[in-house]
Amino acid sequence: MQNSTIVKLALTGAVAVAGIAFFARSASTSTQHYKMVDQLVASDMSKLGDSQMKVHGWVVAGTIKEKIVNQETIRTFVLHKEDKKIRVFSKGPKPDTFKDQSEVVATGTIVPASTMAVMADSLGVRIESDMQYVVDATELMAKCPSKYEGAQANKKLDEDPKFK
Amino acid sequence: MTDGTPFSPIALVGTIALLLAYLVAAWCVAAGIAGNARKSRKLVQSSVYGLYGFCALVALASALMIYAFVTHDFAIKYVAHTSDVSMPTAYKITAFWGGLDGSLLFWVLVLALFSTVAIVANVRRHRDMIGYVVATIMIVQVFFLSLLIFTKNPFATSITSAPIDGQGLNPLLQNYWMVIHPPSLYIGFVAATIPFAFGIGALASGRLDDLWIGSVRVWMLICFGFLSLGLILGGRWAYEELGWGGYWAWDPVENAGLIPWFTATAFLHSAIIQEQRGMMKRWNLALVCLTFFLTIFGTFMTRSGAVQSVHAFGEDNVLALQFIVFMAVIAIVSVGLIVFRSNKLSSKSEFDSFYSREFAFLLNNWILLGCAFFVLFATMFPTISEALDGSRVSVGIPFFNKWMVPFGLVLLFLAGAAPLLAWRKTTRERLWQQFLFPTVFAAVVVVAIVALVPGATSMTAIFSDDIKLPVSIINFGICAFCFGSIAQEYVRGMLVRRRQTGSDPFTSMVGLVLSKRRKYGGYIVHLGVAIMFVGFAGKAYDRMVDRTIEAPAITDKSIAFDADGTVAALPPASKSSFAFGSYVFLYERLISTSDDHKDAVTAQVSIWKGSENIGVVYPAKWDYHRGEEATTEVAIRVRASEDVYVVLTGYDLDSQLANFRVFINPLIAWVWIGFLIMALGTLVCLIPQSVVDRVTTRPKSRVGRAADVGILALVIFGLTAAIASQAHAQGAEHVKPGGGMGDDGIGWAAKNRPTHDTAEKAMKELLCVCGCPRESIYDCKCKTASDLRAQVQAFIDQRDATGKPMFDLTTADGRKKAYDAVLADFVSVYGGEQVLATPRSKFSWLFPSLAVMGGLSLIFVVGRRMVGRGKATQKEQAEKKPATEDEAYADKLDDELAGVD
Repeated sequence: MQNSTIVKLALTGAVAVAGIAFFARSASTSTQHYKMVDQLVASDMSKLGDSQMKVHGWVVAGTIKEKIVNQETIRTFVLHKEDKKIRVFSKGPKPDTFKDQSEVVATGTIVPASTMAVMADSLGVRIESDMQYVVDATELMAKCPSKYEGAQANKKLDEDPKFK
Repeated sequence: MTDGTPFSPIALVGTIALLLAYLVAAWCVAAGIAGNARKSRKLVQSSVYGLYGFCALVALASALMIYAFVTHDFAIKYVAHTSDVSMPTAYKITAFWGGLDGSLLFWVLVLALFSTVAIVANVRRHRDMIGYVVATIMIVQVFFLSLLIFTKNPFATSITSAPIDGQGLNPLLQNYWMVIHPPSLYIGFVAATIPFAFGIGALASGRLDDLWIGSVRVWMLICFGFLSLGLILGGRWAYEELGWGGYWAWDPVENAGLIPWFTATAFLHSAIIQEQRGMMKRWNLALVCLTFFLTIFGTFMTRSGAVQSVHAFGEDNVLALQFIVFMAVIAIVSVGLIVFRSNKLSSKSEFDSFYSREFAFLLNNWILLGCAFFVLFATMFPTISEALDGSRVSVGIPFFNKWMVPFGLVLLFLAGAAPLLAWRKTTRERLWQQFLFPTVFAAVVVVAIVALVPGATSMTAIFSDDIKLPVSIINFGICAFCFGSIAQEYVRGMLVRRRQTGSDPFTSMVGLVLSKRRKYGGYIVHLGVAIMFVGFAGKAYDRMVDRTIEAPAITDKSIAFDADGTVAALPPASKSSFAFGSYVFLYERLISTSDDHKDAVTAQVSIWKGSENIGVVYPAKWDYHRGEEATTEVAIRVRASEDVYVVLTGYDLDSQLANFRVFINPLIAWVWIGFLIMALGTLVCLIPQSVVDRVTTRPKSRVGRAADVGILALVIFGLTAAIASQAHAQGAEHVKPGGGMGDDGIGWAAKNRPTHDTAEKAMKELLCVCGCPRESIYDCKCKTASDLRAQVQAFIDQRDATGKPMFDLTTADGRKKAYDAVLADFVSVYGGEQVLATPRSKFSWLFPSLAVMGGLSLIFVVGRRMVGRGKATQKEQAEKKPATEDEAYADKLDDELAGVD
């Protein structure tokens, strides 16, 4: 094989490896994890940083507090899975089927509880002392059983033991 | 049936048709391969005739399926599962492809129709490989028919008794865009099968000259066109129906259509290199096979449950396995044949320079392929991550955008730059000459935007959060470069043609486009894409706000309302209003209504700019009785500069509280406009030479000329009727939402039915004004229709002061008078003939249609005249003397265009 061909192949390989590494790094900083409440609470939440999370659980009855401040609805509630719980704060719209005990997926970031203290005060709630971290949600999705085929894939997800 | 099992003759005949089709397909595979391998013309012919018979059988099965939907044959499980009696007929037909089983049958039908057309057109030209082509198509058909017959039979009947009513179609799919979006994507997917079949046929027969490329180009263009249409309609549907303010969220199902779109687009460009330079033969075959593979992979993604999506068809491991096996077969056969024939696939020439058109096309191909694999990888990321470590990790919209935006901008630049480059090598002088105007134009546009638009240089992350560029302004600059490049190419081409033909500029331009359709149609496509990118750039400046308004203006006694129920003047600092952007939104009232299908809650919101009321919008939530979740009906105020997009995100009927989400989406209308231009360009590329010949050749006989006029008249009449029906239907859409609904949910369709034939005839002639798609008040199931039926009945049955009937219904004359009178009364009350199914005397609604048709006719006539004149003049000049002016450019143009069309 000629030297020039070897150089070309080496250069192509180096560019490909560098590209894949850059792509992997870019992907790793853009991932969005999907966790059930019990999985999330059991993990080290201090390491999650600013990464986006989807937190899946059920609304603890009686924990929904809502208030309208300057034409903006703010709310808090507690999500649970079995005996593990985490508090969620959100602003703006909520799904029509959002209510006590409904199954919810909250998308947002995990933040120290202290950062939401002002919002908690304005809602008239105290963040539980055992909750070091809470969910600052930007979107709420209430799961809704549906007879339509489009919902079947999501339904299967719920039936998966990993998400039970 | 005596055992209580429901019996459906439609299901029986449909299943038999599918079984027969399966046998015919199997025969076609065997006869096609054996025929070409043994050079037996009879066997090849039998496979071709078998394909036609197959098409007839599948068409019969499909017609039976539609008939089952229209006649509510709920003994068939698929019909019961995806339709109900109350659905409008259009949606019943839509339900044919609304579920998995039917969509597979629809796939088989479209492929059968396409393959019939493709084989009819190519059977003589490709006699030595047509058997392989038929066999390849029929192997695909056998696969899908196997799914239909053994796993997903759409004609399967219930074991227990048939339900009285069906479950209905997903409310989200009951949208006019959804009537055409899924079939467009299917057609795009299916069209990729034909190039694949010809590619495999060429490989199997060893006929690897450029002939097969010419036969498949049009099918790849159809694939490209329909995938584009399907994708943009999906975006439009999401924009109107899902209420999140955007049109593209990198959803796996949409990505499934986008991935083969990239490879189809790549092929359309690389095929030109093979035709022009005899290069990239292996690459083109690989692209054809890859595009087909990706259409099957996309179908696998959305139908097997391999990815999670709001509109995936669900999880099915058996189906997934069948698809995996089929994809493995495609991959092995394709790669095996390409390797087997690799000695015949070497290029005739090599790249001479980086500054050449072929290199620009190659770069375009690499990037398009990179886009396809990037989107594929990112879409499958959750599935891959779950398989690797058990945790479901996804990548969101920002990750897609970070990578696809720079890719898209480079592609757009190439769309503008490639036409400026010469084949083989572009000299430095030529580069300067060609790039000067588009570059200067782009620079001027960028400077003007930076100077005039505040915040235009906002930074956006690309590839990684660490790399930020003013992407939006770069986008505008590249769009301007593209516009400049295309304009320059058109003007120069027109000037050359003008010199050659001596015709005027407009004639030259029309003649140029019609005579070099592929090249100049392609430029129109590029223009449309650049305009779409202007719309994409607007995304960088969109804004959103959520507001909760505790009480509407109607509860405030100090606010005055007009007679039409809207607020007369914007009250200062009202609690019912909020400001956003340059607008003030006033929540006026909440309207609660319902009809037989749904409960609707509609907010009336006026939009103000300063003290001027610029419009009233009606965002709503519809809760279908058969559904379990309300759908969002957004209200959009469309302008070229920006859309104001209002969503009712929540409400409380008791307190009248309402939550709104408002988006201001700058330039978004240009996405749709750009697509229309792109579609026009695709159509120009698809115009067959025979049509151009027909247009440009004046028939010699009177009969021929009469036939020409007759065909033109028929086309004009058909298009006028189609457009007129749309224009006519639009009248009903101006009725306020909620205005056509009753105040309770049951039985309006059964109320106020006609008591005699005259009333029934009149009710069938009068259209309901509730916003339904041109249903008569006889058919429409809403309260408005019920009330109108009562009015018709009362009008015809009215009596004079003496108690004598006004109309003598015992005589034909009296019945006619009654019928005419009630129609005239309705026309008078509703102010126009838009309430009539067949308008009578006033033709104002026809004017827009006639204008459009007149324009088309004008183009037809002028185009014919101009091309004809151009040809005549060209001939005359050729006879007199050779062209002397600008010969260099004319020669270059001719060189480039040679063999393109």
